[in-house]
Amino acid sequence: MSKLYTFLKYLAITLWSIFVVTPFLWALTTSFKTANGVTGGPTYLPWLQYEPSLSGWKSLFSGGGGIDIVKPYLDSLIVTASASVISIVLGSLAAYGLSRFSYRAGFVKNADLIFFFISQRIMPPIVLAIPFFLMLKWLDLLDSKIGLILVYVALLLPIAVWIMVDFFNNIPRQIDEMAMLDGCTPLQAFLRVILPNSLPGMIVAGMFCLIFGWNDFFFAFTLTFTDTQLLPVAVVALNSSVTPWWSLSASALISVAPLLLVAFVVERYLSHGTLAGAIR
Amino acid sequence: MSLQINDLTLAVDGVTHLDGISANFERGKLTTVIGRTLAGKTTLMRAITGLQHLDRGALQLDTQNFSALPAWRRDIAMVYQQFINYPHLNVFENVAFPLRRKKLDEAVIERRVRGVLDKVGLKGFEARRPSQLSGGQQQRVALARSLAREAGILLLDEPLVNLDYKLREQMRSEFRSLLAEQTQTIVIYNTTEPVEAMLLGDTVVVMHEGRILQVGTPAEVFDRPASMQVASVVNDPPMNFIQGHKGESTLELAGGVCLSLPWHLRGLTIGEYWFGVRANELRVGQTSVTGQVTFSEVSGSETFLYVDSPLGPLTLQVQGVHIHALASNLEIGIPAERLFAFESAAQRRLVAAPATGAQL
Amino acid sequence: MGETGLRRYKLVFLLPGLLTLLAIILFPLLFTIRVSASGWDAITPELNWVGGSNYATLWNDVRFWQSLARLSGMAVGTVLIQYVLGFALALLVWRDVKARRLFRLLFLIPMMTTPVIMSVIWRTIFHESLGPANDLLHLIGLGPYPWLTAGGWAVASVMIVEIWQWTPFMFLLLLAGLISLPREPFLAAAIDGAGPIRTFLNVTFPLMATVSIGAIMIRLIEASKLMETVYVLTSGGPGTASETSGYYIYIKGLRDFDIGYAAALSITYLVIMIILLTLVGKLLHRVLVGGRS
Repeated sequence: MSKLYTFLKYLAITLWSIFVVTPFLWALTTSFKTANGVTGGPTYLPWLQYEPSLSGWKSLFSGGGGIDIVKPYLDSLIVTASASVISIVLGSLAAYGLSRFSYRAGFVKNADLIFFFISQRIMPPIVLAIPFFLMLKWLDLLDSKIGLILVYVALLLPIAVWIMVDFFNNIPRQIDEMAMLDGCTPLQAFLRVILPNSLPGMIVAGMFCLIFGWNDFFFAFTLTFTDTQLLPVAVVALNSSVTPWWSLSASALISVAPLLLVAFVVERYLSHGTLAGAIR
Repeated sequence: MSLQINDLTLAVDGVTHLDGISANFERGKLTTVIGRTLAGKTTLMRAITGLQHLDRGALQLDTQNFSALPAWRRDIAMVYQQFINYPHLNVFENVAFPLRRKKLDEAVIERRVRGVLDKVGLKGFEARRPSQLSGGQQQRVALARSLAREAGILLLDEPLVNLDYKLREQMRSEFRSLLAEQTQTIVIYNTTEPVEAMLLGDTVVVMHEGRILQVGTPAEVFDRPASMQVASVVNDPPMNFIQGHKGESTLELAGGVCLSLPWHLRGLTIGEYWFGVRANELRVGQTSVTGQVTFSEVSGSETFLYVDSPLGPLTLQVQGVHIHALASNLEIGIPAERLFAFESAAQRRLVAAPATGAQL
Repeated sequence: MGETGLRRYKLVFLLPGLLTLLAIILFPLLFTIRVSASGWDAITPELNWVGGSNYATLWNDVRFWQSLARLSGMAVGTVLIQYVLGFALALLVWRDVKARRLFRLLFLIPMMTTPVIMSVIWRTIFHESLGPANDLLHLIGLGPYPWLTAGGWAVASVMIVEIWQWTPFMFLLLLAGLISLPREPFLAAAIDGAGPIRTFLNVTFPLMATVSIGAIMIRLIEASKLMETVYVLTSGGPGTASETSGYYIYIKGLRDFDIGYAAALSITYLVIMIILLTLVGKLLHRVLVGGRS
């Protein structure tokens, strides 16, 4: 009985693994194709079914059907990293306040404030796209990295607050209190005692901010054009019938590669138990 | 130097945590605050630290209006019951933390920290992290940190309650000598255990439901508890309470048990009273009353017997190991000269107490 | 009184973040509300006033309500499937599996990728004649299927891509939850002789109630914004078969430039979503946890 159970277990794991890996394998093999590997119907094995070539990959750096990959990479990196850092800083401060103090303004209380932060994520990008467009135009920040960072902070701040509030709630209040009795003002207690012990939570918040920031398409799409180019927009722009599939696949693969590093970090923390305490 | 607290009041959701408490704490004296859980001991301490919201009340340190100072400018050190240390710092830095906040000289810090660690028996542990220490060791680090500060006020909130029995006894005597050295400090120590209160305190404050019931030396509180409530808090196992009637020259307890009237009760007016007798002063084998054993518990070299009797349930604490079968009959003697008498009115104040001396 | 000095610091913590958020969000929200009462088309510089006529049109706009129903169905459907699969996967690689860390890493990967970019790849996969989907199914005698060109199939394609992309998210949150569960209830169940199904129903699932609700709500909030995958994969087609509310509003606003109407649609959509999601949240809480929220 348990032999059958084990077999089914590994079968399920294998099936899902195949499902997960399929788009990557397909993109990988397609990125090495040329016209005759595509137009006659799908092919899979290099040398056996088609002649492999590097033209898809070469086009990443020199145009010719693909995208120039360097600038979008840098722009995405700068914008996402900056917005994430700002969000975590402001978000942790707000989250600490919400965790330790009780706020009241009329009938608005802590739970309402937290709901307000989280409900920002319910806003469909459309609701914000045109006003953001006008706002950035008015501030002369259209098509700029700073403008986009501003917008991304509004999107990522709620995530940072959501994760850090929960995390701070799990640190016993007595530690803050003791720090204050030992001579720290509340701000010093936060900086010297709570923050050093919040690294796991900030890493989780940082990762989610990176993920959601790096992978945004819509706002980059509506708010930037030529001076600033983010990766997702650059790649999707290739999604026409004119672009050859091999350039498309190469561009796609190289764009999603960086966050695989994040996957490594997440898995490590998860399996070492630190993450489990941070997410909940 | 003394700390005066005045009319501290706090009620949350209709529950009174502090009910207009006023008290005085002297420098160089160790005051133990004893009370059951939820008596308000911790709330009182937090009120002194300035981290607890109060509805009403004032604090004064000598002539200085303490209440106006934020917590981080009051010179208070506190040891919690949950072994609180800074997790990201090693033992040395943990103890040094408040000293660094005061911007003391590095040499001074070095000397004081090492000195205190030696005193609490943690020499050689400087580089360890709190997570690598046992509960008792963590609590010693917490104590070391509060001692190194040489603060004006030292608060300890049931610091030994989360340690196991043997460790508690050992550390109790260590604490006693360490705290006795703090002649320049106002020390306040919370506990639920009468033994700790009597052993450590110069002064004992008895609290119940947010009120102070009695303040006095351990002897005073133990020998002359101000009320039945105080008597039940400071005795462990709890005092036995029996209703009864004092006549012209008779003493009749519930269930028709009659005793000869002892001399210290002769002056009482005739009427109904509550009488109290300690568990370790009831005698086995003498025949004031007979009861049935409902439970017996051997603990170390003592036996606790729980008995149902015409007087109500009784608890006995007997020296030595005695085996009594359940539901077996037990003859119990009540030493009339050891009875406490409390009025029947709501407050149940003490009206007569036996001569002092003997068991403590 | 009593907590002297703390009051000043309370605001130091909360305000920087709160004010920043308000500053960036408030203008867009108020502006959208104002525009929704106009017939603006982004070309003429002034904003006229048409009162509530956009909202009246909206009330009768069958296409909008259909897109809303479609979106709700797709969101709930994908989130439920993601939850079941995610939980199953988390349970599978939780303990007693060889190379479990490798599988955990593998299962995490899709959520780290850029959804739009992966959709571009999926579009090539679902291509009816040149893509591997139909080709491989043909090998086991199934298909060919009109993945992107027929109504129901278009919806299915979008859902498949969403499930591929976001099951890892559920998987991550649920696995983290499982890992932090205490051992004792499981030991007790084992001693009582409970088999795997019993243990799951009576021990694992109840203990995971709070985590489950959090994960489902977060995914529902994100899934309700479904638009990018539709944009890349099917462009809402064929016709409007796979059109979600988000996509419809996008068309009205940024393609037809009927911005006043798009604004009215946006506000209506936002309000409906907030109400629905709050209700779902409270419902879930009552069902899975019971009692007050």
